[in-house]
Parts: sequence; structure tokens; C-alpha cells
Amino acid sequence: MNAAAGFWSRCVQLSRATFRSWGWAVALICVVPAGLAQEEKTASLLEGSYSRKGADTCLACHDDQITLAVFRNGHGIPSNRNSPFGHGQLQCEACHGPGDAHSGRVRRGKERPALIEFGSDRATPVSVQNDMCLACHKSDSGVAWHASAHDSSSVACADCHTSHAARDGVLTTTGQAQVCDDCHSAQRIAGLKPFAHPVDEGKMNCGACHSIHDGDGEHQLSRPTLNQTCYQCHAEKRGPFVWEHAPVAEDCSVCHDAHGSNHPGMLTQRGPFLCQACHSQAGHPSLANDAGGLANASPSKYLLGQNCMNCHSQVHGSNHPSGSRLMR
Amino acid sequence: MSQYNGQRTLYFLGVAFTGLCAAHNSAAQPDTSAWKCEYCPFEKGVQADYKAGGGVVTDDAARFGNATGHDKQGGFVIAAGDGSYTSDGLQASWYLQDLGLDSRSALIEAGRPGSYDVRIAYRGLPYRLFDTTDTVYASTGNSLQLPGDWARSALTSGFTDLDANLSRRNIESDRDIIEVGGSYQPNARFELFADYRYQTQDGVDQFGGANFTQASLLPRPFDYQTDELDLGVRYRGERGYAQLGFYGSFFQNQNTALMWDNPFTSFPGAERGASAEAPDNRFGQLLFKAGYRFKWATRLLLSGAFGNMEQDEALLPYTINPNISAASLPRTRLDGDVDTTNLLLSLSSRPIAPLSLKFSYRYDERDNKTAQEVWSRVIVDSFASGDLETNRPYSFERNSLTASADWALRTGLRLGAGYERRELDRDLQEVAEQTEDTGWGRIRWRPNAYVELSGRAGTAKREIDRYDTELALSFGQQPLLRKYNLAHRFREFGELTFSGSLPRTPLSLSATLAYADDDYSKSVLGLLQSEELRYGVDLSWSVSEKAQLYANLGLQKVDAEQAGSSSFSTPDWRARHEDEFLTAGFGFKLKQIADRIDLTLDYTHGAGDSAIDVTTIDGRGPLPGLDSTLDSLRLSAIYKFSKRLQGFAELRYEAFEADDWALQGVAPATIPSVLTLGADPYDYDVFVLGFGVSYSFGSSQQTGDDP
Repeated sequence: MNAAAGFWSRCVQLSRATFRSWGWAVALICVVPAGLAQEEKTASLLEGSYSRKGADTCLACHDDQITLAVFRNGHGIPSNRNSPFGHGQLQCEACHGPGDAHSGRVRRGKERPALIEFGSDRATPVSVQNDMCLACHKSDSGVAWHASAHDSSSVACADCHTSHAARDGVLTTTGQAQVCDDCHSAQRIAGLKPFAHPVDEGKMNCGACHSIHDGDGEHQLSRPTLNQTCYQCHAEKRGPFVWEHAPVAEDCSVCHDAHGSNHPGMLTQRGPFLCQACHSQAGHPSLANDAGGLANASPSKYLLGQNCMNCHSQVHGSNHPSGSRLMR
Repeated sequence: MSQYNGQRTLYFLGVAFTGLCAAHNSAAQPDTSAWKCEYCPFEKGVQADYKAGGGVVTDDAARFGNATGHDKQGGFVIAAGDGSYTSDGLQASWYLQDLGLDSRSALIEAGRPGSYDVRIAYRGLPYRLFDTTDTVYASTGNSLQLPGDWARSALTSGFTDLDANLSRRNIESDRDIIEVGGSYQPNARFELFADYRYQTQDGVDQFGGANFTQASLLPRPFDYQTDELDLGVRYRGERGYAQLGFYGSFFQNQNTALMWDNPFTSFPGAERGASAEAPDNRFGQLLFKAGYRFKWATRLLLSGAFGNMEQDEALLPYTINPNISAASLPRTRLDGDVDTTNLLLSLSSRPIAPLSLKFSYRYDERDNKTAQEVWSRVIVDSFASGDLETNRPYSFERNSLTASADWALRTGLRLGAGYERRELDRDLQEVAEQTEDTGWGRIRWRPNAYVELSGRAGTAKREIDRYDTELALSFGQQPLLRKYNLAHRFREFGELTFSGSLPRTPLSLSATLAYADDDYSKSVLGLLQSEELRYGVDLSWSVSEKAQLYANLGLQKVDAEQAGSSSFSTPDWRARHEDEFLTAGFGFKLKQIADRIDLTLDYTHGAGDSAIDVTTIDGRGPLPGLDSTLDSLRLSAIYKFSKRLQGFAELRYEAFEADDWALQGVAPATIPSVLTLGADPYDYDVFVLGFGVSYSFGSSQQTGDDP
């Protein structure tokens, strides 16, 4: 009896110790099957038989304008051998998966078997949806997508793209920002600030700076770094200059908010205070600038007009031999 | 660089190079010989919509005209259109916008998908900053001259000839961009691509021309040209991808210097000043990118970019003051030379469906190889400083390591965590070594198809090896100051997002709350603290296929605190910044009212408020608020006369008003030692009204749901 009790006690102690040490593993063991079950569900969408007549089977029911709009873009070009409707391709089922069961007769009370649907609000797992798109769109977007923040956030391709439209709105200069703003509300707010790039005006889109599918530039920028991206339109600031301004050479965002600002030049703060956050030399750089320097008091050259840039106008760097103070 | 990049990449490279889709599916491949696609309404021939008409702008307003081209009161022509042409294998499309305005654009793309494509595009981008600026200067090329009888004075109050000689000079410029590009695919694996962009930007901006203790804001004429080239080759295999390319940027400034007459009494010979313009520069970069897909959805991405930027513009002399015999320059051209290196290794894996693992390593380097020389400065063309200075070509190296894992549970719960380590090594600056460790967790819960809740939170700690106060002192900097991009910083951040929709009603709501707090606890002078709070609510309702409504509200608050010392010792003043920006918008789209009318309305309100409270010993009080208010309304109506002919009317109203103490009440001579351009804060109400017709050519499919 005592031996049995001792054995039981040791078992309990061992179990407790094991759980303490390996609790995470036990939890993982419980969780893994849940994930694997999802994998089974995924697999079922990709298996099964294809319909007998391809698109003609589908269009017998799905003959609405939205569905038919796929024939008005690159997906619906039969002369392109690689398009879903190219010779020998799988037409609607190239994207939506095998549809024989879906198009067949369904017993009363039973649900019609699902196909692959697109959009993160649909039942098909996002990874399955995106894999369908990326299986064909395997150019640079297909490879680098998996390194992107969009992939990390489980964004479905169809969250942004409309494949059943004559022209996908997100590919237009005027329409792209509206799509991006749906999730990036901070950028939408910033874009309406008094000083911003003309994105809200439809004259510039997010893709002008961001490579939306790629994960190889920082912040998914279209060039490897922020500065290299900015120089595409602001090449005059590339330099190198005789007299460089250290933060300029390193990171434009130290002073600028490229998405919009309450302050001129899209500066993160109003001058002279922005400059004074880094410059503290004795004399005028250190002076407090307050209401006493306003136009109706003792107008201050350090506060009004262009403030510091009234004199130090070459803040992006000077190529003048006497320009060490960025005044020439 | 190009706003068409996305279009090009996706439309042509993506769609045109679609691969063998069927290969992805695990189902047995069917015999498609009987798939006739008899019901498929394939497009052929030309489909196009063109619109033409006229409109009127009710007032001059530079800010309103910025980017839109509607900066001048008066009439304008409406001309736009888009279309496509499809034949056996050949596809072309064109998009024309705002042809009657400075903001006009045109894009023409054509090609045989899967074989080749070409494109040509033009964009005009007007930049309008001020139309309330006045100057006494006349310009000839890069030279600004005062009136011949100008009476110089030590103070602006002594400019007796000022008012009589002021004339309006808008601060505005125009950017024109022409792009030509294309790609060729000799087979399904290879693609050659090339894009060329030609940008010009010319006009007038404002530039501070310094005298010894005075300055003039100058209407600086400028004329830039940039040529860019992207070309390369891509290879796509079943599992792998590789790209090799070249990017070149060649900037030319038509002006090497800006010369101007000094309106103030000055040191002998300093009646004229000269400033260097941005030098011509060249940048060339070799790029490669390669990816491979292994088993278990494991993908490896390698990319690299090796660049070099140079500039060898002839240097100006130390001064143009004939009374100063300055030393000879240590070199006549800088021969600036900077190498850039950017490398990325990224590994992502999904060994089982719910588990996503990511790892990346990034290396960025700017190696400024420009020679250091000893220079003797002439202070603003007035007198020799007597000091010798050495230029500081800044270099840095940045290493970033990121790892993250996400696990998706069957219950709709997705959990993730990540870590990032950034190391930054610089030279010639106060901080040589800097590290930042960031950790975050995220959760996403989607219990059903209608509700989703997601959150992300983390902390980041930036540390430095030491702040070199001796170096700071050698620059004249206060040793207690910590530059905020070089300082210790502890950051907390979080974001919570809810989105939901009703099961049978297409009504969706999303809300976002975000928070970030930066604490520079080891800084005595400089930026001490910064906090951001942001809310956003979006509502959209698809009432029916013909009616959609939306509304949104957003608020962002950024508070910051900094300390300064006017006595070059301990802090004796503080500035508290409170930036707030509120946006609200609503709109609707109604289609086929009485089967003939489409109506669209968008309204946006934005209100910015920036308060700066400066606390000083003598307590002269906070600065007035920098307030701005924007109201923007866009209303358009389309009436369908027939299947092809439509009439349209567009109304746009925008009101903007800003209080800005930097400009308010600052006439050209208000500041005793600065001659300004006297720009006024923005304040305008503008209506734009346009009418016209549009006509659709081509198939009925293109005309969509016309009656």
C-alpha cells in the first residue's frame, strides 16, 4: 500500500515537474492539431474534380456583370497563353479551384460545396487565397511578398485588388490611396494635413514611394532606403556636399514626416524649435523664442518668416567652400 | 519615382506573366479540350470613353492650385479619356487626365501579353506655394538685382524705396515627367526590362540670403533636370526567381550659383552675395534579387544593391567680395564620392498551415569616401573668419535583425511575437555606436466572418555607447544637449483595431486606437518626451448595389516637450508642443437614379491646431495657436442621355484658413533685420464648376450598365 502511495506521489511530482518544465510543449501539442485540422480544410479546397465544361459551366449560373468583368482585364485574354483563359488553362477554376462538386447537384438540406473565395472576409484561409494568386504572379512580387509586412498581417491579395473589373482601382493613381487608406488610417489623416504630398489630390499614389508587394526595402519602400527613395524626386538633395548636415545624409525622417504635417515643408515640428532640439550653441541658437518675438511685439528674425532658414538656408547641405554654417 | 510603378509591375509584369496556374492545384489535371468557353464575352476591338467640356474657377488660390492646376481664377478646358484596344494577342490601353490643366497626365501602354510591352507616360505636377509674395528683386538668369536707385540701410525700416519697388512674384514651380519603358520576354522564363524617366522642375522658390546679421528672403529661380534609368533582366523558374538590374540617376542643375544684391548696408565689398546651388550629381546602383521556394512553404529572399554617388561640380571661391584676399581653395572640385551598400536576407516559412515564421537580416551602409580638407571660411562674403575648418563626410553602417512568429488557431485566434535588433555605427558624430531592441506581440481574433479584433503592442529601447561631449563642444554644442536621433530613448507603442459588419446588412464599422510614447529620460537639454495618440472610426454601408454611404472620423494628437538653455548652462526654458489634427468626412455614391443619373458626393473637414507654450524666466507667454481649417466638397452628377452619351456636372468647393504667426502681420519690412517676401497665411474659398459630355465607343460590354 505504501509502495503504491509512494509510486503515485512520485508520479504526481514528476507530472508537475514535467509540466513546469515542458508546459509549453504540452500546450503546443494541444494547439498543433488545431492547426493541422486547418491544413486539412485547406487541402480539401484544392482537391476534387474539375468541371466538365470549364467556364461555360460556371457562367451558366454566374452571369452577372461583376463576374463577366473578368473578361475586360488581363485575366480574360485568350490569346495570352499564361492567362487563366489562355489555351489549355483552367479558366475560372484556375483561381477558384476544382469546381465539379460545386457545380453538381446538391442534396436537399446540404450546403453547396465551397470553392476558393477571395477577400479576408471570406471563409477561405488567406494563405490559400494568396497562394493561388502567387502561383501565377510569381514575378518579383511573388517572391518578395513573403518578406513583407502585408504578408505578416495576413492581408489577402483581394483585400486590395479587384480581379473582376475592367480596371483595378488600386492600380490607378487616383484610386490607390483610397484602398490603402482603408487600413492605413494614420496616413489618411496625415494626408489631409495642411502640408502633404499631393496624394489626396490624386496626383501621386502610395506606390510612388512604396513597393507594395516587396519586403526587401525598409518600410516596403521602392528603393533600398528612405533617403534613396526620396532622392528619386528630390535628386538635388543627394549630394554629397562639401558641408553635409549629418541627419540629412542619414535619414530624411529625422526632420520630415513624408505623409503630412501641420508645419511647412512637412517638418515634424515648427522651426525654430525643431532645429533647437539639436542645436544649442551659445548665442541665438539657444535663445528661447516666445510671444515676445511676434510681429506685433519685437519681430524676431529667429522666429518669423523662415526662422532659422532666414539665414541657414542650405539645411540639406552646402557645396560652397564657406558654407560650413549652411548659409551659402 | 514613378506613380505608375505599381501599375506597370502588376498590370504588365504580373498579369502578363501569369504562369501555369494549374500547376498549383493538387487536383488531377483535366482534359480541357472540350472547354469551349462559348459563353465567355471576350473583348475585341476598341473600347473608349472620352469626356470634354469646360469649367470655371472662382478665385485665385495658390494652395488650392497646388498639384491640381486650379490656381488661377477663370475658365479651363475639361478633356480626358481612357480606352483600350484588343485584338488577337495585341493589347493597348490609354489614360488621359486633366489635359486642359497644368496637372495633365497621359499614359499609353501596349504590348502582347506574355511577349512584350511598351509604355510612355507624361505627367505635369504644378507646385504652388504662395501667390501673395512681393519682392524688390528683378532676376536675370541666376542673378537677382535690386533697383538701380536702391538706398541701403542697416534696418528694413530704412528702406525708403521699398514700397515703390515691390512687385508680385509667386513662389511656384512646375515639374514635368516623361517616362518611356517596356519589357521583352523571349520565353516564359526570361524578361528584359528598361525604363527611362526624364524630369524637369523649374520655377521660383524662396531662399534665405544671409548678410552678416541681416538676411533677405530671395525669390530664387531654379531649373533642375533629372534623368533616371532602370534596366535589367529577370529569370523565373518554377521555384526560383532572380533579377539583375541597374539604376542610374543623373541630376543637372542649370545654375551653379545664386548671386544677389545685398539690400542692407554691409561690409565693404559685400554689396553682393553668392551662394552655391545644389551641385550636379550622379548615382549608379547595381541591384540583384533572388528568391527560392523550398519545401514546407519556406522561402528565401536575397537582395543587394551596390551604389555609388559622385559629384564634381566646380567650387565657387570662398567669397566674391573683391576686398577680401581669401586663401586658395584646397581643391577646385569636391570630387565627392559615396558608396552605398544595402543587403537583405529574408527567410519565411510556414512548416504547417497555422505557423508562420520569419527572419530577416538587413545591412545598410553609406561610406562617404570624400576627402577631408582644411578650409578657411569667409563669413557670408563679409570677412574672413580666421578659423580653419575640416569638412565632415558622414558615413554609417546599420545592421538590423528581425525575427517573428505567428500562430493561427482554428478558433480564429492568431497570436504573434517578434523581436528586432538594430545596430547603427556612425563616424564624426557625437554617438558612434547605437543599438535599439524592439519587442512586440500581436493578436488577431476573428471569431466569425463578421468581427475582427486585432492588437499590437511593444517596447523599444535605444541605447548608445556614449555621447561624446568633447566632440559636441568642439562644434560649440552645449554638453548637456542630446540630439534626439542620437539619444537614449525608451518607446512604448500599441494599436488596437476593431472591425465588424452585420450578418445580413452590408454595414461595416472599423475603429482604431493607437498610442506611442517616446521617453528621452537621459536628455537634459533637447527633446525630452513625445507622445502620440490616434483614434479613427470608419463606417461604410452598401445600402444596395446602387447606393453606398461612408463616414469617417480621425483624430491625432502629438505632444512633445523640449528644454533649452539660453545661458549655455542648465535648462532655463521649456517648450511644450501640442499638435492636434481632426478629420471628418462623409459621402455617398448613388447609381442609376431613375435609371439615368449617377450622383457622387465627398465631403472632408480637417482642423489642425498646433500650440507651442514656451516657458521662460521672464514669462512672455505662449505663442498663439497655429490653427488651420479645411472644408472640401466634391459633387459630381452624371446624366445618361443614351447608352453611349452622358452629360456630367462637377462641383468642387474648398475653403482653407490658417493662422500662422510666422507669416501673420509680417510684411516685407516687419522684421528689422530680414527683408521678407511678405507672404500671407492661406485664406481662401474657391468654387470650381465644370460641365461637359462624355461618349463611349466600342462594345456594349464596355459601356457597362447603361440604360
